[in-house]
Amino acid sequence: MEIRDLLTSDSVIANLRVTSKKQALQELAGAVSRVTDLDERAVFDVLMEREKLGTTGVGNGIAIPHGKLPGLDKLYGMFARMEKPIDFQAIDEQPVDLIFLLLAPESAGADHLKALARVSRLLRDRATCDKLRGTDNAEALYAILSNSADVQAA
Amino acid sequence: MELSNHLILIGSALILVSIIAGTLSSRFGAPLLLVFLVLGMLAGEDGPGGLKFNDYDTTYLVGSVALAMILFDGGLRTRWKDFRGVSAPAAVLATAGVLITAAITGVAARFLLGVDWLEGLLIGSIVASTDAAAVFLLLSARAMRLRDRLSSILEAEAGLNDPMAVLLTITCVGLITSTDPSLTLDTATIVAGQFSLQIVGGLLAGLFGGYALLTALNGLSIASGLYPVLAASGALLLFAGAQEIGASGFLAVYIAGLVVGNRRHKATLLINRFHDGLAWLCQIIMFLILGLLITPSSLIPVILPAVAIAAALMFIARPVAVGLSLAAFRYPPREIAFVSWVGLRGAVPIFLGTIPVIAGVDNAETYFGVVYVVVMASLIVQGWSVNAVGRRLGVLLAPRPAQPPRVEIDLPSDLGKDMTAYTVQARSMALRRDLARLPLPENIDVVSIIRDGILRTPADLERLAPGDDVILLAPPDQTAALDRLFGARQPGQNDPDAVGEFSFDAQAPLGAIADAYDFWIPSNRRETAVGDFLRRNLLRMPVTGRRLHLVSVELIVRRAENGRIITVGIELDPITGRWRRLFDLTKVWLESRLGRR
Repeated sequence: MEIRDLLTSDSVIANLRVTSKKQALQELAGAVSRVTDLDERAVFDVLMEREKLGTTGVGNGIAIPHGKLPGLDKLYGMFARMEKPIDFQAIDEQPVDLIFLLLAPESAGADHLKALARVSRLLRDRATCDKLRGTDNAEALYAILSNSADVQAA
Repeated sequence: MELSNHLILIGSALILVSIIAGTLSSRFGAPLLLVFLVLGMLAGEDGPGGLKFNDYDTTYLVGSVALAMILFDGGLRTRWKDFRGVSAPAAVLATAGVLITAAITGVAARFLLGVDWLEGLLIGSIVASTDAAAVFLLLSARAMRLRDRLSSILEAEAGLNDPMAVLLTITCVGLITSTDPSLTLDTATIVAGQFSLQIVGGLLAGLFGGYALLTALNGLSIASGLYPVLAASGALLLFAGAQEIGASGFLAVYIAGLVVGNRRHKATLLINRFHDGLAWLCQIIMFLILGLLITPSSLIPVILPAVAIAAALMFIARPVAVGLSLAAFRYPPREIAFVSWVGLRGAVPIFLGTIPVIAGVDNAETYFGVVYVVVMASLIVQGWSVNAVGRRLGVLLAPRPAQPPRVEIDLPSDLGKDMTAYTVQARSMALRRDLARLPLPENIDVVSIIRDGILRTPADLERLAPGDDVILLAPPDQTAALDRLFGARQPGQNDPDAVGEFSFDAQAPLGAIADAYDFWIPSNRRETAVGDFLRRNLLRMPVTGRRLHLVSVELIVRRAENGRIITVGIELDPITGRWRRLFDLTKVWLESRLGRR
């Protein structure tokens, strides 16, 4: 599973200006609805449902909100770099500034899990995160994300 | 000739089955010694084995040898500095504690069985001491980690309290069988004299014998394989010699083990390893033979009063005895409660129960049956629940990390350093630094490293890799530090390799999580909180990093406090062995059928 299979160049936001977790998820849902024909409200609801089970703020300033949506034909990702870190009720209680959102069709099954694991591995890499934090250009961000080799965890 | 071959066949088969059954029992937390005991009963006359074995004398002989070896091994493994700190409370527990336990249990036996006071006291004395084999075995389990002080006092008590019980038992038997059973000043003096001889004689014999054994070990030049045999036969000689003069052999071998184990001597590793195996063998054989000896159907008439006596022992006698004995030592109440609960009875009472039978006391076989039921009840109730009780009382520490593969080699020069070889584990501390900056304790040198079967010097390599074999020259007391360095790290709460990619609150409903990640769960567990589900299916203490496999994902304990799960992790792309997978799924399926809703 490669990141470029999940992410297109127009689904990267370089400077998202939000102040809260809810606002961030709303903005991202809106952005998703503009590139796909998904309903903004439906996307937001799915993400919030997932947050209720436990935060997707995985620590070190990273959040990976995700969920399954009927009417999606393939895995769909969106990346956003916050202009200022926001409170995401993350597991380590640190503010979040990098968000990778991942939506999957109802029937994605194992692919969904593999994609999530892949995104998690990608953003676990300190060097990659440093590079992402040091760039405020959407194309550059996309290049960093899509060119990263998969370092399979031992 | 045919008979001896049959004996070998049956004996070895029983031991093998015991070992295999033991590994299985640890999965279910069943007390190991109970498994051996039950196997012995199954092999016996009421079980499918149908072996007839009724020889109290042989049992007494085998039991003596086995107990002596177990106590010697227990002494070898006790660190002097741990022992010293608890010697006073342990000594009180081992003397006054035993006396109080015997007295209260004796009163209970007097009324429950309707026997005389002296007979009641005899039964009380027989079951008054905690069992070294059971306690040592229980406390060495990896999951049972207690504060040092707590495990030391339990071990020391078990090592020290047998002579008191032996003495009380022999005194009662003597009084019962003597023609004039009235307690006069003369008999009291004799008892007091015997008591001092048992204790003081045992102590002195232990010290003297221990140092003599040390001198022999260090002075003699013999084939290296003979050193452990020398130690074992020395210990047995000491045991029997002490018993011969009326001193306590049990006390003597424990003390001798303590002396030998805490002094530098030759062939330390050989002796420790040999005695570790020998103690296991003795435990297995002793409990098998005790299981064989009893005819379970003969226990039926005494089972009700005996269970009542066991309850009096566990819930009244032992707590009172521990409470009074430790009152002066300022132990916190929950530790006193825990010590009370770990009053495991085992081989010693059964073994002491053979004494009245051999001495020809009236009804002795009935008493033996009673003692047997009391021990079984203690092993089942206390042995099985001790983990849960420890958790509830909050005295358990997180389990020790698994020991990394390590081999030690005694150097013949005896300079106080051993050669030690480790295989570096994945996720170990040693991988995080360059070789030159490895945080090695002082006094330790890296001799060489073997990577892919090729010998390298430390200068050749920049950094260690998982699977490298590292050979070091290190003092034996530094192994704990080295274990930490080369072993796998305790999983951190935020290390995704250890606790999974995502996390859930323990209260989140399992069904919603299973829907979100497409994994199978039993349909009647959808409403269960994910934390409860995980805890019920682990069968073990929930500790950060423990996992449960569910077809395509693994649920992991991410954060737990005092046995309660707070956060659950999920690993989405797990690598699980086939057997592990099958085992976990069976467990989950069974729990969903049998567990409460």
